[in-house]
Amino acid sequence: MVSTSVRSLTYAQAVNEAFHQEFERDPSIILMGEDIAGGAGRSEFEDAWGGVFKLTGGLIGKFGPDRVRDTPISENGFIGAAVGAAATGLRPIADLMFVGFVGVCGDQIFNNMSKMHYMFGGKVKLPLTVITSTGAGVGSAAQHSETLYSIFVHFPGLKCVAPSNPYNAKGLHAAAIRDDDPVIVFNNKQLMGGVGGGIHVPEDSYEFPIGKADRPKEGTDVTLIGISYTTYQCLKAAEILEQKGFSAEVIDLLSLSPLDEDAILSSVKKTRNVVIVDEDYPKCSMASELSAIIAEQAFDFLDSPPIRLSAPHASVPYSPVLEAEYIPSPEKIAQAALSILE
Amino acid sequence: MREDALTIVMGIDVAGAAGKADEGFIDHFGGTFAMTKGLIQEFGTSRVLDTPISETGFVGAGVGAAAAGLRPLVDMMFVGFIGVCGDQIFNNMAKMHYMFGGKVKLPITIQAQTAASGGNAAQHSETLYSIFAHFPGLKCVVPSDPYSAKGLQIAAMKDDDPVIVFQSTRLMGVNFDQHVPEEAYELPIGKSRIVKAGNDVTLIGIGTTTRTCIQAAESLAKQGYQAEVVDLLSISPMDEETILSSISKTRKVVIVDEDYPKCSVASEISALSAEKAFDLLDAPPKRVTAPHASIPYSSVLEQLHFPSVEKVTAACLEVIN
Repeated sequence: MVSTSVRSLTYAQAVNEAFHQEFERDPSIILMGEDIAGGAGRSEFEDAWGGVFKLTGGLIGKFGPDRVRDTPISENGFIGAAVGAAATGLRPIADLMFVGFVGVCGDQIFNNMSKMHYMFGGKVKLPLTVITSTGAGVGSAAQHSETLYSIFVHFPGLKCVAPSNPYNAKGLHAAAIRDDDPVIVFNNKQLMGGVGGGIHVPEDSYEFPIGKADRPKEGTDVTLIGISYTTYQCLKAAEILEQKGFSAEVIDLLSLSPLDEDAILSSVKKTRNVVIVDEDYPKCSMASELSAIIAEQAFDFLDSPPIRLSAPHASVPYSPVLEAEYIPSPEKIAQAALSILE
Repeated sequence: MREDALTIVMGIDVAGAAGKADEGFIDHFGGTFAMTKGLIQEFGTSRVLDTPISETGFVGAGVGAAAAGLRPLVDMMFVGFIGVCGDQIFNNMAKMHYMFGGKVKLPITIQAQTAASGGNAAQHSETLYSIFAHFPGLKCVVPSDPYSAKGLQIAAMKDDDPVIVFQSTRLMGVNFDQHVPEEAYELPIGKSRIVKAGNDVTLIGIGTTTRTCIQAAESLAKQGYQAEVVDLLSISPMDEETILSSISKTRKVVIVDEDYPKCSVASEISALSAEKAFDLLDAPPKRVTAPHASIPYSSVLEQLHFPSVEKVTAACLEVIN
């Protein structure tokens, strides 16, 4: 990448660009959710919000209220409508504002979205994308700060991706929308708020393949596996380790289901040490799954046991001091790596 | 219910009469699996409440009743119905004690039925305890036989925190030929038990799969190998000490779970074994689980979906050799 050609976008701008390009490309794409335009049905306030995280701004002005639908506060209703719309030929995107709201639409996601293709013997396709926000760090307390992708990954029939920067966010949203299966895109709030933004994002439309991890930093001493925001934390931890003379490789998971086992295992077999960094609750989590896979399939290559660095098995605190302690920090990641390396 | 007048029972068909008690339909069902049979006769309609088909309504009512001082037992029937009451369980039940700074206690027990008992297909055959164990604030137990079922049910109902009891439909009709004491007793939540001692490999079973593990151990014994069977019983909190001390003895572990494999209790135990018993293991941990696929209606495929004695035995032989 030549520095003069840098086209710097924030995460939210990159996703918004993907939506605009996909909407132009395919007239069967529609978008539903709470405040995705904003205006509560009053045309004078149209596009007042563009989504809580500004991912969907400008769409209603360009593509109209037939394709961009502000919905009532009923996740069960509009997610269910999206499942039905997908089954009957549209390509809907549904915005589940906070991932913790899965409790009020779990039936549509776990019982209909994930199983319809199977239950109808492959005769029904659900080309549906659900976008949702995850993560702590913005003072949203226990019910609006969860990560929870692990429980979606648990279900067969759902593809799950978690972008980590504006570049892969644009490419993964395009890939999710074009995919003929249900895909859930987990967007971290801190990344949407601008953290890790300002990198080059090509203007042309592109896809980032679902099922592939990325390797944003090569190294030889230890593999740090990050997911979404924790990839950003891992890259910072790699800098700390560099200063201490250790070379960390960072694997950016990106796709949680399906999982790019090859990328994970080949990195771990090279470095022989691994620290898995995950902001989700620790039990029965992505971190557990990764640790188990590595132990089971790369046992003889490991010089040390896999280390998981997750949020604690506790609800997300409202207190900013405790919340800062809650998310795995670069210092803690570096410390965990050093506990193996030194 | 005799011991504590604050205990109430709620759920769909827990008595079964659809409100037509005056027409002689009282106690018609006693729950889909007849677990709550006879309660309405002895304790009356103010303590045993047949509810409408609205899990979010009656599970939510259970949370509120618990917060206000009762000790509700709520039957959510099939665990797959979590999709229609997840908000009450994940956002209220799991978090209220934390969010109110410990000032609210929720002595509530949820019972949910798991696993395919024969032709219930994709939406009524799931196991799913893994997603409950993911949430802080919920205790989760999985009985494996009549003795542990009685003891854990009582422990759950006496506990001051929310406890989810996962009851395998595949065990409901099985004759265990097992002694169950008449008097009340508790099995401690958070403890596993060794149901068969052995030195060659540790088999970890959960609910139904404990029975599968015991049968696999018998098959292994015929081939000259002594498997130790750990019956997990409690998935949250987990009895790490019992798991790790068994593994430190046998140096090999096969985890058998009928839940979907990804981000599951099996993943958790495998990760835990690798991380905390790395130097003690002679072979990598092995998981035998359901495939990452929905549960088939076809009885032939359904049989193949769940870990069988043959699959578990083969996995053990692979690890031992």
